[in-house]
Amino acid sequence: MRRNLPRSKYQKGIIHPIKYLRDYLERDIRPDGRQFLRVRPMSVNVRSITQADSSSIFKIGNTTVVCGIKAELAEPKVETPDCGYIIPNVELPPLCSPKFRPGPPSDQAQISSKIVETVFLNSGVLDPRNLCISKNKLVWVLYCDLICIDYDGSVMDACVGALMAALKTLTLPEVEHNPDTGAIIVHPSKRLSVPLKGAPVCTTFALFEDQLLIPDPTEEEESLALARLSLVIDGEELCGVYKAGGIPISQEVLMKSLSQSKKRAELVRKLIDTAISST
Amino acid sequence: MPVDQRRINGPEVTIPYNIYFDSNAKQTETRKTLPKKRTDGRDSTELRKIFVKTGIVSQAKGSAYIEMGKTKVVCSVFDPREIPNKTGYSLQGELFCEFKFSPFSCLKRKIHQQDSEEKEYSIILQRALESAVCRHEFPNFQVDVYALVLDNGGSSLAAAIMASSLALSDASVPMFGLVTAVTAGIYQDRFYLDLTEEEEVICSKAPDESTSSRNYGIVIQANLPQHGQISEFFHVGSMDLANMKPTVEAITTACKELCPVMQQCLVKSVLKALKRKENMEKEDQ
Amino acid sequence: MDKLKDPIICVPGQRLCVSDKINVPGPGTYEQHGYIYSKLAGVVKLAKNENVCTIEVHSMTEQSIVPAPGDIVTAMVTIVNQRFCKCVIKCIGDIVLTRPYRGVLRKEDVRATEKDRVEMYKSFRPGDIILARVMPMIDVHTYQLSTAENELGVVIAYSEGGASMIPISWTQMQCPKTLAVEFRKVAKVIPEQIALE
Repeated sequence: MRRNLPRSKYQKGIIHPIKYLRDYLERDIRPDGRQFLRVRPMSVNVRSITQADSSSIFKIGNTTVVCGIKAELAEPKVETPDCGYIIPNVELPPLCSPKFRPGPPSDQAQISSKIVETVFLNSGVLDPRNLCISKNKLVWVLYCDLICIDYDGSVMDACVGALMAALKTLTLPEVEHNPDTGAIIVHPSKRLSVPLKGAPVCTTFALFEDQLLIPDPTEEEESLALARLSLVIDGEELCGVYKAGGIPISQEVLMKSLSQSKKRAELVRKLIDTAISST
Repeated sequence: MPVDQRRINGPEVTIPYNIYFDSNAKQTETRKTLPKKRTDGRDSTELRKIFVKTGIVSQAKGSAYIEMGKTKVVCSVFDPREIPNKTGYSLQGELFCEFKFSPFSCLKRKIHQQDSEEKEYSIILQRALESAVCRHEFPNFQVDVYALVLDNGGSSLAAAIMASSLALSDASVPMFGLVTAVTAGIYQDRFYLDLTEEEEVICSKAPDESTSSRNYGIVIQANLPQHGQISEFFHVGSMDLANMKPTVEAITTACKELCPVMQQCLVKSVLKALKRKENMEKEDQ
Repeated sequence: MDKLKDPIICVPGQRLCVSDKINVPGPGTYEQHGYIYSKLAGVVKLAKNENVCTIEVHSMTEQSIVPAPGDIVTAMVTIVNQRFCKCVIKCIGDIVLTRPYRGVLRKEDVRATEKDRVEMYKSFRPGDIILARVMPMIDVHTYQLSTAENELGVVIAYSEGGASMIPISWTQMQCPKTLAVEFRKVAKVIPEQIALE
């Protein structure tokens, strides 16, 4: 497949990154051997981390994101006395790519955290009222930590996927709360799952010259792309479009990406469901 | 505590639910002493099943994953880079090690920043590896080693040391030998190798005044088993001097046992790379 | 690439053989207490030369190395001013670096002759790919580079029109699109296109 290209010169990617990619794209193929519209194979694994209340590992090609949810108890906010908390944080540690340095989260990690949070809120997957134990007194706090282990492009897709898979397998112990005495008793043997509605799926695209649109870019493609676009779809609903800067996108291409991500959303949903039912 | 503006923060006070466990329920009973028989049915010097794999992080120069019982650790290594904020010239390269528990990996939720325990572990990790790496080959540079615990089922640091040593080798960083490490726990007259998390908790607390033997503690020892050398010995607790010799001997034997597992893993990855190279050459022709 | 049927695979710390007059430790190995050990995980290669056999270990991935004085490196020019240009070292010999290192090329090291008449802007432009030799280190963090050899200098450069330029002399390159001529300190190598075909 790659025969016509000088692969022995892997250096080309480093010395001549733009020409390197252009050479591939002109031959209607991507550097990893994929067709333009093909997405990488995905895999999901749930309940493998024993210390977390629920966990999932979501892989797209090389990209790997681990999600672990730890539930804790807290008082609700005064303005929302019957709402629990969901605290999603995306971590892009230096472990996952040489691009990141040790220390506080990079801008990108902060942006990713924010996007995951808004996607989560806008899609209405989990009604925070379902996390209420005792109004005004006690609610659940779900710390959802998303850690990227391997940063090879389309990390948002993996983050949203991992969070959904983890939420779907989340169970919380039954809690008895006496509002008068404030006494709390937790029954660890009785665990109940949290009701969810729908499942948003994120699909990232990279945009190149002449409005060439490719889904599920690798890190290499992402770094050379002229624009990036992430669409979040939940069934028939669109719950977020993120396009930060870059070249303008034509309406036609945007529509194309919409239908693409709708197809992929269905695929991811099925994948998560099979992963959960098979464990 | 100052609010971390770079992360999404929860309410100020949150309480883990396990402290409110129904005291009548049987399973919540926490053991105060080490049981005669280990809960997982192992012998006192028996190690848990270990699984190692290299090359799991595509973006890193070298990486490794290790699973010991429930413990799961990922480690990645990057190419030498300039030592930041350094004015002098050092003939020996440096190792920069960062050990981190992921927030959900322990019974109690960990904060995102490194806490003092993780900082201490980072230094132990660095010391355990340093003597095994040919540091004179990259003077004035540092090699970054990152270890992340995904699930803590005990002996995480020992697992991280082994994973890092594999990752360094996977990254083709020149080394004098592989490093293996084992955690041992002492409590009164009992002595266990390769502790689980529950056993670690028991061994790190002093027994009651009334008991005859007041020995307790945790020992982490890293070896270069191919050369019969010890690269790091770390002990917390208190034990009789006489206990020292059998402890070191037992750990050294266990470290030797682990070496073939790591060697096999590396040989496998070399074979895989050879095959891939062959296929590529065929394709090119 | 020699095709050994059964390659000998070794891991770091593995004892390979006795170190004596016949067997000497080569790259990827070290000597301790009269034995040769491997430093890397990889394949053992024997380089026989008359009566001496050098034991070498070649790793599967590119070895983690840093530039050393005397090495030929491939670098990309990032900043040019009147006295020097800064570049990023991307390869050492054939080995591609995953982490770039910084290098500096001073005006007096651009070419071997007529050093005082060198003009930096007529020698390099940002974005050029150059071949250079590493000189002994003076500063702690930057490598001193030199292109004062015929074979060293600019190998790949883009014209203002964005096309890859073709060398026409050792001081000039021409854009194939606009035919505009630009000045460079050109390295004497076969153009890439010819080498590939």
